[in-house]
Amino acid sequence: MRLLIIEDDREVAAFIRKGLNQAGWNVDHADNGKDGLFLATTERYDALIVDRMLPGIDGLTVVRTLRASDIDTPAVILSALGEVDDRVSGLKAGGDDYLVKPFAFSELMARIEVLIRRSRTAATAARTSLEVADLNMDLLKREVRRGAARIDLQPREFQLLEFLMRHAGQVVTRTMLLEGVWDYHFDPQTNVIDVHISRLRAKIDKGFERPLLHTVRGAGYRLGD
Amino acid sequence: MRLPAVFRTSVFQLTLIYVVVFGLSVIALFAFIYWSTIGFMERQTDAVIEAEIVGLAEQYERRGLAGLVDVIGDRVRRDTEDRSAYLLVDANLRPMAGNVSYWPREFNQQGEWVNFVIAAPDDERVPVRAQVLGVGPGFRLLVGREIRELEQIDALLQQTAIWGFGLTIGLALAGGLLMGLSAQRRVSQLNRTTRRIIAGDLSQRVPIRGSHDEHEELATNVNAMLDQIESLLSGVRHVGDSIAHDLRGPLTRLRTRLEALSAEPEPNRESIEQCLVQADGLLETFNALLRIARVESGAYRSAFAELDFGRIVRDTCELYQAAVEERGIMLRLDNASGARVFGDRELLAQALSNLLDNAVKYTPVNSRIDVRLTHLAKLVTVSIADTGPGIATADRERVLARFARLDQARSKPGNGLGLALVRAVADQHDGRLTLADNAPGLIVSLELPAVNRPR
Repeated sequence: MRLLIIEDDREVAAFIRKGLNQAGWNVDHADNGKDGLFLATTERYDALIVDRMLPGIDGLTVVRTLRASDIDTPAVILSALGEVDDRVSGLKAGGDDYLVKPFAFSELMARIEVLIRRSRTAATAARTSLEVADLNMDLLKREVRRGAARIDLQPREFQLLEFLMRHAGQVVTRTMLLEGVWDYHFDPQTNVIDVHISRLRAKIDKGFERPLLHTVRGAGYRLGD
Repeated sequence: MRLPAVFRTSVFQLTLIYVVVFGLSVIALFAFIYWSTIGFMERQTDAVIEAEIVGLAEQYERRGLAGLVDVIGDRVRRDTEDRSAYLLVDANLRPMAGNVSYWPREFNQQGEWVNFVIAAPDDERVPVRAQVLGVGPGFRLLVGREIRELEQIDALLQQTAIWGFGLTIGLALAGGLLMGLSAQRRVSQLNRTTRRIIAGDLSQRVPIRGSHDEHEELATNVNAMLDQIESLLSGVRHVGDSIAHDLRGPLTRLRTRLEALSAEPEPNRESIEQCLVQADGLLETFNALLRIARVESGAYRSAFAELDFGRIVRDTCELYQAAVEERGIMLRLDNASGARVFGDRELLAQALSNLLDNAVKYTPVNSRIDVRLTHLAKLVTVSIADTGPGIATADRERVLARFARLDQARSKPGNGLGLALVRAVADQHDGRLTLADNAPGLIVSLELPAVNRPR
């Protein structure tokens, strides 16, 4: 797996690079927009991490230029809170995700993994059922079964489980869940998401030997063995 | 060279312009008066003299030189008031008849008008205006009228003009000087105050005299502006102090913990994670502060759009439903449909989420939270009523400020920024955040201007 970081703040870049190296990734770094754009167009990467404010060519222009030249490498745009910009302009420029500094490394990691997976399975998006271990979701009948037992879910619980199953094996953070399931992008102060998860867990894991819905400390949740 | 300040005031400079204008009009006025009085009298005198010359020339034609001498003698005798002057001289300027004793030097030729002075018998100098008629070979006749009165009026008029002009200019200048001084005094008062403020004393105010004029209005506005600046500054100072105060504690704790950790040969994971949680809490506080600052800067306003506010209320209530039920609290939502507002979806959801957070935090278990959405013609109000401890009337304004935490809330988690953000969001939406008594508990109401769609 190869990744390119375009970020002028060396400390932030070193921090991300170290974390990704530990996770077994190969990481290149460019500290300005021009070099970054050059690397991104000439080399093959699995994902890009692009800072919004860069010397020379800014991050949005880098992404926009890449998209204009048909390079679809998934890109996470980083931005400092308080800058006069917004998520919408970042996503419009062709970014696949948007993260506001300061962020937890686990959040960045989770989002990159989701992006890479998504870009690989984009072709097989139209699925009628999802499966994780012995958990099965029929998207047409809107039915969920674990083994032979049928599980009754509320509509929102169904959406929550669908999101987790589509990202099976990956860490999904709380803000990702709020975005993906409720379609809101803000920071709930308390653990409102946790309660929804624990309710879902009670329905799909209770009474079964192997738990499927795991809590990843300091990061979020993961569905899988 | 720098003029004294009063001469540089705009009032004084305006006065100077008016002095010139008034001076010119005074001159024009006197010129007209002069022309219509002295001019008229002169023209009359000239007409009389001309008529006499015509008459005397006729006499000479008819009766010859001797007859003319007779007529002149006759006229001199009849002129008891000495208003007329006659003198007939021969080629050697020897007087032959008339009441003037010598031929004035000023005369040269016939038809010329001349003013001259003759010495009267009582040694008085009498001004005379006269014209000359050539009579026969070498004889000349001078015919004139005494113009003492005319000259007197002339002198009087000229004097009046000079005095009037001088007085006008003098009074105008003095008035301008006074007004300039007064304006300058008031402006320099304002300047003194502003200079003191620039020097750092923000408590200075421009003195108000209660005259309700434009200077007073300016002074009042300047004072109001200063009040506003002072309150903003003290707000900023307060926020700065609060940040320092509220973040020093956790930072110190974090440092102590890390110090202890670094001393251990094998740091355990749990301690490290506790440190991370603490650092996350600090970051969250900073993020919340920045978010409030960003909301207050108006950065979101450009992206405002028409929204279904009822939908946002329903969504956030649904999001909190599970957490609320977990605590045995009932969350009831009344009639949340159709209310449309102009704003930012995420900000409004964040604000509602903060309000629900508070309600959940402070409502005792096994009680109720009522969320009600009312939709009037111009106003959409969402009110969240809990049955918690409520907030005393005196504290209601205070809790909306940053880092405000009431004593009874110190034990609960939170950074004291939740309501401050809600208030910033309300302000940006031209709305209002109010706190009221639910007896027992608190009713928080968020009012927003409604968008009415044309049907």
